[in-house]
Formats: sequence, C-alpha cells, structure tokens
Amino acid sequence: MNRSIAVAYAVARKDLTSEWRTRELVPALGQFVVLALVIANFGFQIDSRNATVIAPGVLWLALVFAGLVAFGRAFAAEREQASLEAMLLTPASAAAVFAGKAVAAALLLIACEAVLLPALALMFGTPFNAALVAAVLIATIGMAALGCLFAAMVARVRSREVLLPLLTLPLWIPFIVAGGQAVQVAMGAGGSYNQAVALLIDFDILFVVLTSLAARFVLDD
Amino acid sequence: MSAIVAHELTQRFGSDVALDAVDLALDRGEHLAVLGDNGAGKTTLLRILATAARPTSGRLEIFGLDSVRERKALRARIGFVAHAPGLYPALSATENLEFFCALHDVDRKRVPEVLALVGLNDVAGRPAGRLSRGEQQRLAIGRAILHNPRLLVLDEPDASLDAQGPDLLATVMRERTVVLATHDHALANRLCQRTMVLRDGRSLGAGTHLRVVR
Repeated sequence: MNRSIAVAYAVARKDLTSEWRTRELVPALGQFVVLALVIANFGFQIDSRNATVIAPGVLWLALVFAGLVAFGRAFAAEREQASLEAMLLTPASAAAVFAGKAVAAALLLIACEAVLLPALALMFGTPFNAALVAAVLIATIGMAALGCLFAAMVARVRSREVLLPLLTLPLWIPFIVAGGQAVQVAMGAGGSYNQAVALLIDFDILFVVLTSLAARFVLDD
Repeated sequence: MSAIVAHELTQRFGSDVALDAVDLALDRGEHLAVLGDNGAGKTTLLRILATAARPTSGRLEIFGLDSVRERKALRARIGFVAHAPGLYPALSATENLEFFCALHDVDRKRVPEVLALVGLNDVAGRPAGRLSRGEQQRLAIGRAILHNPRLLVLDEPDASLDAQGPDLLATVMRERTVVLATHDHALANRLCQRTMVLRDGRSLGAGTHLRVVR
C-alpha cells in the first residue's frame, strides 16, 4: 500500500512539476473558462432574476469542456513523448500510476475552477460560497477518475480527440445532474443540497473503485 | 544456465506477420546481436523480450519466469532502451532518473552514480528537452540500468551516440545478459558473442558473428 502511494505521489508530482515549468495547460484552460463565461453572459442575456437558474448550467458546460482538455492531455502528452511505456515497464502497479495521473489532472482542473468560480460570481452576480466550492470539488474527483480512464484508453488511437468526449460525456451525466442540483441550491434555489452532495459522493466512490480496478487492464494489457 | 528460452515466438498485426515462429536460447551473461534490414522484425522481437508486447503465439521464459503471466516480477530484472528515449523534457536529467527510482523502488543515491557512468554529470541539472539527441540517448541508457537489471534489451542504442558510445555500451553490458538490435556489424562483432539475423520476421539462424554473416 505504501509503495502504491509512493508511486502515485511520484507520478502526480512529476506531472505537476512539468506543468509548472511549461505552463502549457492551466493558463489556456483559465482563458477558456473566462471566455466561455463572457460568451454565455452575452448569449443568455442574464440578469438578477434568471442568473441562479442559468449560471449552474454555464458552470458545468465550461467545466466539462475544460475537463475534457485537461484529462485528454494527461495521457496524450505521455504518448507523444513515448514515456508512458517506460513508466509501465517498471514494477510499479498500473493502478498506482493511474491514480497519480488522475490526481494531477484533477488538481489542474481545480486550478482552473479557482478561476472559473470567482469569475462566475463576478459576471453573473451569483453567490460564491463554501457549499458551491464543495459541490464542484466533490464532483471533480469522480469526473477526474472517469476522464483519465477514458483518456488512457484512447491515447493510442488516432481519433482520440473525437473518441474521448463520446466515451466520457455520457458517464459524466450523473455528475452534471447531481452537481447541477447542488450548485443551484448553493446559489439560493430550492431543493436538498445534502441529498445532491450525498449522491455525488456515492458516484465518486463507485467510479473511483471501478476505474482503479479497470486501470490495470487499460494501461498494461 | 538459460536466461532466455523462446519457442516459436510469433507476432501478427492483422494479416501482417511481424515475427514468424522465432526460437531463441540465450545463456546468462551472454550477449546476442540481432541484425536485419528495416522491417525485419528486430523491434518486435525486442519489445516482446522487454515485456512491452505480448506475442500472438509461442512461449517465452526469461530467468525461468513466464513473460506474460509473471511479467510484473520480470520487469524488475529487465532494462529496456527503446527507439525513442521517452524522457520528460521539462524535468532535468537528475529528476528524470529520480522519478524512475521511485517507480523501481530504488534509492535516489544511485542517480549520481548512474549519471557519472553514462557521462552526464556536467548536464545533470539541464532539462532533458534541452539535451542533445546523443545525451538523451545516454540518459535513456542510464534509466535502463538504474535498477541494476540482469537482462538489458537495447534497440539500436548506438543511434545518436558519439565515438565513445561503444565504450559506454561495453561498460553497461558487462556482467549482464544482453540482446542488442543494431545495423552496425562492427559494433555487433565487438560487443556480442553471438549474432542472430532476422529477415521478414523469420530467423535465418544464430551463431558467432562471422559465421552468421557469411
């Protein structure tokens, strides 16, 4: 167990160090989510009456597309550098390698959320509170696990940019539905926040366990 | 005692046969050069020996372990230098090796020793992306010996290496079983006791270098 944690930590640290030095992904993702909010602001003609209804949808749309880019890059970069094989030809467990990649990709998406959530509150005049942040962070865990699994699966395929959304988006729907409800409640709409967050946690546990089990077959076989 | 015993190794990609029923037996500490034209099946054979690919059919045992069922245990005993160096360009030479120390569960103290061995002490702090192609190849060789493997599988390791390259290869190959693919007959003759020639995925035989080349 300690060995797997050490491997996952080394992989995540390596990915985050590489991103910190190259700054390839996070600045681009930050700009993308801000632009998405600006376009939505003009397109939907948002005012104080409809903001809490429309803003959660805009938030999840921006997050989903930013996530597809972040998770897609996690394995595509390794494939381009031909370094994934070198990593997998070690005695390190494939599940630990996968966990490290997923944690790093999730942290990069969280960095993007750190731009997205305040920008959303600023542009749409919606509340920015701990409940909103918690709901988005909890959803990010499961989305990262699923997104990275499919990113690993399609990394060897030429049409991976098309295949990744086709495979990932249908399985992200539960997170968008439960996350959307939690965010709406956090922004002041009616409904049960606890129920939506409990559902998100259930999905997190389910998909983290399933993807950990599947990682070995996807990466090593 | 045998290090590698391969029986009728075959690799198919769709209808293409990349490797056709190749037999191979190699003793511990023996060095084998694999020669052949482009597309002869050298890389396919080496990838199977390094457990990076599974043969479509045939049997392969390395140090008495089955290469498919026990590949996890085998990977701690094999070092592989592939065509592409497969390094992390934003990480320094030292950081690249330290990362692989974590994956191999090897003490980081081994890194300076390996960097010195492959002649990269002076550029240890430079990002791998800014190293010359030859230096990157030296770093890839360093990574392959980081965990002190008993078997080295080297796919054209002399590519991009300078005039001192053969000496470096001779040093890292010492006291190890080695399978080396190359186009350089002189290098094969210098570094390996035996040579195997592949053509269209088939083995044309193995023996001493001069005998096989004739």
